Amino acid sequence: MNNEKNKKIEDILNSLDGSQKATVPGFFYTRLKAKMLARHTSGENELEKRINRSWIFRPAYALAILILVLLINAVVILKGNAAADNNTTDADTMQSIAGDYSLNDNTALYDLNQ
Amino acid sequence: MLNELELIQELRKGNEPAFKYLVETYQDRVFNTAIGIVQNAEDAEDVAQEVFIQVFRSIHSFKAESKLSTWIYRITTTRALDHLRSRKSKKRFGLIQRLFGDGNKPLHELPDFHHPGVTLDRKENAARLFRAIDRLPENQKTAFILHKLEDLSYIEISAVMQISLSAVESLMHRAKQNLRKMLEKETG
Repeated sequence: MNNEKNKKIEDILNSLDGSQKATVPGFFYTRLKAKMLARHTSGENELEKRINRSWIFRPAYALAILILVLLINAVVILKGNAAADNNTTDADTMQSIAGDYSLNDNTALYDLNQ
Repeated sequence: MLNELELIQELRKGNEPAFKYLVETYQDRVFNTAIGIVQNAEDAEDVAQEVFIQVFRSIHSFKAESKLSTWIYRITTTRALDHLRSRKSKKRFGLIQRLFGDGNKPLHELPDFHHPGVTLDRKENAARLFRAIDRLPENQKTAFILHKLEDLSYIEISAVMQISLSAVESLMHRAKQNLRKMLEKETG
């Protein structure tokens, strides 16, 4: 049973041995020339092609960059909020210290000559 | 009959008969390699056309450090793999469209590929082998196709893929192992 299965697999693996090579359909050169001519006349420029082929436009990279940008935005917003909270706490503390030492009322004038 | 150096020189001059000679000399090798990788005759012809357009455009940058055939095989495998990647990403995009209810077109799986050079008695086995080859990693697929369909030696494959001979041996070994595993699973 196992031998039969192994033989079957071997047959499949060797099924391309001795096969003929595939040949291009007729008038290949004529179609190739027509394609080259069409491209030449349509003025397809190299820069445009390079941009189209650029890795940055591949969906996987574009999606990864989008997620990265969103993550950076989220981090910046969260950090900004935390910093704002800290600033408020700092201001409160300063105000209470100033109140304790009567520093809030700085309307008093000091005569430096005295 | 031009030798390789003369052919390259004529191609650089933009000589059309030289280009025609190049196409006629290499078209079947290019097509046979491409059809093995993309597993579709129309797509393989598209790839073959793109290969010769690229050869025509970049012949000035060809340094003749390798044989012309090696360079053309390299362009062919790269182009064919690019074509496969773009076909797969289109398929994924179609799937996403369907998920969001936009794609009303049904998704057609490609039918089994039958290589035109395979004899009738081996047709079914070859179709199963090609189905498994399609699931191989790109470099294993390239090495296997060049060896089995184009009868290239491991040394020639190493020149095409720009890797060492031992790396080709290892790729072929892993390719055969993977194919065997896939076929074992399929055979049950």
